[in-house]
Amino acid sequence: MADLSVTICGKTLKNPVITASGTFGFGREFDEIYDISCLGGVATKGIALVPWAGNPVPRIAESRGVILNAVGLQNPGVEKFIAEDLAWLKQKTRVIANVVGRTLEDYEGVCARLDGLVDFLELNISCPNVKCGGMAFGIRPENIEEITARAKAKCPNTPLIVKLSPNVESIAANAQAAQRGGADCISLVNTFTGMAIDIERRRPVLANNTGGVSGAGIKPIAVRMVYEAAHAVTIPVIGMGGITCAEDAVEFMMAGAAAVQVGTQNFTDTRACPKIIAALNDWCDRHGIEKAASLTGTLTLN
Amino acid sequence: MREVTATVLENKRIADEVYTLTFATEDEIAVRPGQFCMIGLGGFPLRRPIAVCKAEGERITVCYRLKGAGTRALAREYKQGEKLSVLLPLGNGFFVKEDEKRVAVVGGGVGIFPLIAAIRAYCGEKHVYSYMGFRNRAAICMEYELARSEKLVVATDDGSVGFHGTAVQAFMRDYDAVRPDVVLACGPTPMLRALKTAMEGKGVPVYVSLEERMGCGIGACLVCVCDKTNGEHARVCKDGPVFEISDVVL
Repeated sequence: MADLSVTICGKTLKNPVITASGTFGFGREFDEIYDISCLGGVATKGIALVPWAGNPVPRIAESRGVILNAVGLQNPGVEKFIAEDLAWLKQKTRVIANVVGRTLEDYEGVCARLDGLVDFLELNISCPNVKCGGMAFGIRPENIEEITARAKAKCPNTPLIVKLSPNVESIAANAQAAQRGGADCISLVNTFTGMAIDIERRRPVLANNTGGVSGAGIKPIAVRMVYEAAHAVTIPVIGMGGITCAEDAVEFMMAGAAAVQVGTQNFTDTRACPKIIAALNDWCDRHGIEKAASLTGTLTLN
Repeated sequence: MREVTATVLENKRIADEVYTLTFATEDEIAVRPGQFCMIGLGGFPLRRPIAVCKAEGERITVCYRLKGAGTRALAREYKQGEKLSVLLPLGNGFFVKEDEKRVAVVGGGVGIFPLIAAIRAYCGEKHVYSYMGFRNRAAICMEYELARSEKLVVATDDGSVGFHGTAVQAFMRDYDAVRPDVVLACGPTPMLRALKTAMEGKGVPVYVSLEERMGCGIGACLVCVCDKTNGEHARVCKDGPVFEISDVVL
């Protein structure tokens, strides 16, 4: 029995497996299938200052080994989250509140409102599916630094994770910009912007035309980006992108991730996360690893 | 709502591009009419949401049309004895009140399959009048299940069998004789729109089962939303798939 616990920004998670934002709601639905208190943490659905309606349907498409989504950050707003879901989720596991906004002030408002109430705040400046905000703040290093600094000023009591977009020129430069802005941690990758076409109709499958690509097919690109980001900063890194099994999680940790997030695989296999946690323990046992946290950053390049 | 490993008992073609799949779950699962399941296919990241047609103890039957790579793989690769990962039962299902004795069932295309579950559930205890629309003769299937209804009218677009026209037209022609207390419907959106228009002002509840591309199937991901007439969104998978027709924008 390996020790799977990991400590990030002074907070201990019982294991490094966190559900990725947007795939898991606030945890209640999956808790009907399995007890989600087994998870290292839950990164919530993106939370805005006020409710957002999201994009028209269809919001999802499939391509080989990947999916595309363009949900557009539909969410009930921060007050409803606090009133209805936060207390329940907190007694289950670590809560990583994913924060979205259309303006800098939106992000500041959500961070201020949730400061001290959640375990981590995860600044979503990397959603490709909204016209304002989202990824617009997360492309250029100077924008990343500014929004990080302004958000951090509003949440002095809560570790701030900045979730980075992979649709950028240099992931290392953007990771450093987040660190300069005062981020306590970074997470990556969000989805890659993509398109799927219904050739019978000569139209994009998604109503939004483009969407975020996620799933097993993006994993090698995500691993490379996590490696580059982790080696560019001194703050901890949470890795994600196409994780389907414990071995994938180990890859991300070796590349430099202190913990991982699992997203699309929750759709493929509703019980994916508990299976990955159990298999990670088995993998550690088979390899004589007493502490899963010791895997982080142990990659040696050829 | 559970995730089970099911064993395929039968998976065969029953009409033009339409298949019926029966699988056995490990133990008995109660499924209400109108509920659906999410079927996981090897090599496809997304499960396929498919309405339950029949639930008999641990034997569950669904029907599906060949539409894309996933349904084609399901038809081709999942023969008797193969294992499937299935999430079920999902969604709210149809609900007919005790005092609603006269039930009209209006379906079109693959929309007839969740309605078969309703016909099976209500045919003994209520008066069930069914109006089922198909493209043509080659598309007709499951007649022996539909025929459990007190009255069954088959409509075809080309008039090759039965009523020449749509299921909604056939239903409205008979409406004064049927005098339904409640209407259950499932089918293509134009059919549901026609039904909504035809039923306006009649004061009879109409429940429709909607279809949408889904992510998780359990209400978490907010992929499969529909617009409600009050301006809000509803999740087709969790708040539906069955809605009162006046509550949703079609």
